[in-house]
Amino acid sequence: MEIKKILFSNNKRWIIGSFILAFLVLLPILTLLVRLPTLENTTFKYLWDTLLIDYTISTFYLLIITCFFSLLFAVLPAWIISNYQFVGRKFFDIVLYLPLAIPTYIMAFTYADILSFTGPLQVFFRKNFHSISDFVNHDYMQVEILGLLMGLALYPYVYSVSRVSFSLIGSNYINLSKNLGLSTTKTFFKVILPLSSPAIISGLFLVIMEVLNEYGAVKYFGVNTYTSGIFRAYGSMGDVGAAIQLAVLLLFVVLVFIYIEKKYHSRFKFYYSSNSKIQKLSILDKKSYLLSIVVCSIPFFLGFLIPFLFIISNIFLTYNQIDFLELIELTLNSVSVSTLASVIVVLVVLFFLIVEKFTKSSFNRYISEVISLGYAVPGAVIGLGLIILFTSIDRSQSSIVFYGSFFVLIYAYVVRFLAVGKSPIKSSLEKHPESYDETAKNLGLGPFNLLKKIHIPINKFAIVTALIVTFIDLLKELPITLILRPFNFDTLATQTYEFAIEEMIPMSAAYSLIIIVIGSFLLIILKNSINKQINVS
Amino acid sequence: MKILHIILIFALLIGCDTEKKPQEVNLYSQRHYKVDEKQYENFTKKTGIKVNYIKANADELLERLKNEGENSPADLFVSVDAGKLQKGAELGLFQKVSNSVIENNVSKDLQDKNGYWIPITYRARVLVYSNQRVKKEDLSTYEDLSNEKWKGRILVRSSSNAYNQALMSSIVANLGGDVASNWSKAVVQNFARDPKGNDRDQVKAIAAGQGDVAIVNSYYIGLLLSSEKEEELNAGRSVSVFFPNQGDRGSHINISGLALAKNSPNKENAIKLMEYLTSEEAQRTYVNNSYEYAANPNVKPSKIVQSWGEFKRDNLDLNKLGEFREEALKIFDSTGWK
Repeated sequence: MEIKKILFSNNKRWIIGSFILAFLVLLPILTLLVRLPTLENTTFKYLWDTLLIDYTISTFYLLIITCFFSLLFAVLPAWIISNYQFVGRKFFDIVLYLPLAIPTYIMAFTYADILSFTGPLQVFFRKNFHSISDFVNHDYMQVEILGLLMGLALYPYVYSVSRVSFSLIGSNYINLSKNLGLSTTKTFFKVILPLSSPAIISGLFLVIMEVLNEYGAVKYFGVNTYTSGIFRAYGSMGDVGAAIQLAVLLLFVVLVFIYIEKKYHSRFKFYYSSNSKIQKLSILDKKSYLLSIVVCSIPFFLGFLIPFLFIISNIFLTYNQIDFLELIELTLNSVSVSTLASVIVVLVVLFFLIVEKFTKSSFNRYISEVISLGYAVPGAVIGLGLIILFTSIDRSQSSIVFYGSFFVLIYAYVVRFLAVGKSPIKSSLEKHPESYDETAKNLGLGPFNLLKKIHIPINKFAIVTALIVTFIDLLKELPITLILRPFNFDTLATQTYEFAIEEMIPMSAAYSLIIIVIGSFLLIILKNSINKQINVS
Repeated sequence: MKILHIILIFALLIGCDTEKKPQEVNLYSQRHYKVDEKQYENFTKKTGIKVNYIKANADELLERLKNEGENSPADLFVSVDAGKLQKGAELGLFQKVSNSVIENNVSKDLQDKNGYWIPITYRARVLVYSNQRVKKEDLSTYEDLSNEKWKGRILVRSSSNAYNQALMSSIVANLGGDVASNWSKAVVQNFARDPKGNDRDQVKAIAAGQGDVAIVNSYYIGLLLSSEKEEELNAGRSVSVFFPNQGDRGSHINISGLALAKNSPNKENAIKLMEYLTSEEAQRTYVNNSYEYAANPNVKPSKIVQSWGEFKRDNLDLNKLGEFREEALKIFDSTGWK
């Protein structure tokens, strides 16, 4: 039925075009799936028998802890900043985003160093308070600490959505619940939190994806997740087949989460009614003011300031060993591939979303969903898919056409990060009334003009947001770059990683600092863009 | 007309390009140290041959090589684990190199019996022990770490680490799977904590009193002992290096080496680079800039490494480190070595 409808519809060019593009986006994953039935499953069976239960338990345990800390660091500060006026509010509203600029593995390596026996904390206690130094002398490389650190690195995903949601809920609901005699705390838990939960869940969803895909940090802390299993099968057992099978299992887990998120989203979708006035910010009394400052400071201090300062102190130690020319070269490399890839991501995303909007076919709705799958697959697995894909193309041409070129690298980036670029644009598009499209259509505008004349202007902040978040993710990207890069090509992330695994963390400081500084700068711009988008101060 | 001009210019450019093909050699390398860049620069200065490289994990590079087949641009595969070189050879990704210059440059016992790869440096998997809590006489062999006296005192990183896998492979190869399995079970019982962190962290944990003996790579101890941080140096000074099994087969070592890709497009240049990297000049550059042992017997290691004294190395055929890899992993998994 659906196919018939497509073939006879006026939009078939667009629908078929989007189908082809979606096919290209999914091709690396499909390449792996196609091989699935032909794979032997001795290694997989072996993993199933011996380690898979372990992997499952530690994956979910880590997920729960990370989600807990992400919520803890995100929701309360977002609530305070959205509702109260206090000195320092604007400052916190910006800096609470900044941990997003620090790659998770750098957060983990840095804190492991800070907390170690030779790190500043323990040294300080040994030198000054010798009697209690045994009290702080612990092995901090525990899964719970890792969850806390990943929570610190990832909570901004939850913070940003909570912040927008809390601001938009408006004062009507709060006044109403207060008139009904609910206390502030009760209002928060009974009214605000349920109303904001779809937004919070969508933020948590991103946190979950990041945790499932993390490799460097979990390996360092000795926590065995599904992704470490994929690498064990791939790296240690040399069994690509088993790695693919595990990746498919991981994909399945992700699909379950996607399903839950969608289900929840549709059940509890909350439409910010246009007449709920943006609430006025309340003034805090002295005691609450101090408390608020503490609540907002903790995520900023732990998630950004402390690791940032530690990295700077490492730079002072290694200052005379820094190769500044190389540093500039790698910065240019990182910035240029990230820029190119993030622009392509946004263009591709716009194409899919506009075609979906224009054609209104349920087929295209599915397509816009499935193109996000790349985000659910570990980068190394996408890399593997592309290696298999392009080497077979090149073999049939009996020359190297694509392989080992920037084209393949950028292709992999786009596949992996479409979801990141999609979510801000999609949610912005959803906010605008359908009538815009109808009117435009009646005026005879095609998808391109619809995009150019209407959607780009009214969604420009969302587009900037999408560009920036994708760019920052690309700047931090590691596994795809490692395996698909052309000859003699390094980025800030690969150099940071190479020093880190060689146990020369201080030497990596200069490279990670640039990642963090560029990321922070963009996040500050992003913050302003978001504020304009939701019209809150 | 204009278009025609442009096409002509392009054709000329392409024509020139094929005539003056630049001299180069392409590496797929698991090594990513600053000293390597220095070596390649020196080589280019000497020969005019440009060295191009991609650095990534060994298995991913082997997979890439395998899939590329005849189209592969790679001339040399560089690894820090004989096991990966053996694996590449087994997959038919390499070709034999028989070259008297190289063979004379490196120690006989480090060379591949099958002729598929050549060593450039090697490292030992040693024990470090707390100067305060362990007497040197208490240590003897890897096998002895299964002794009950070490209960709650042994530190080591995860079994995902290739150096641990190579060590376990060597134990399987030397003593058999059953002995290795029992050994692993007992060592796990003696762990001071779950395996985690890198080699440097194991030394720090000794300094912190969380354990007394650690299994680590000599190379990383050298790095730790040249740290920029005073506290790390202190931690390094609180331990000593011990070479196990000196009374019998010798300490386990692993090489870093090169193999010539089967479809190497610049074979001559690749062999020139192999000759250069094993020469005394280049070998001295290695030991002066890293804490590895030179494969060339005429070149002494760095001062820090020399200070640990000379040692007898396990003469096991290093290909066994690859051949027994799978069994080693299964032993880790079945005995709970995370």
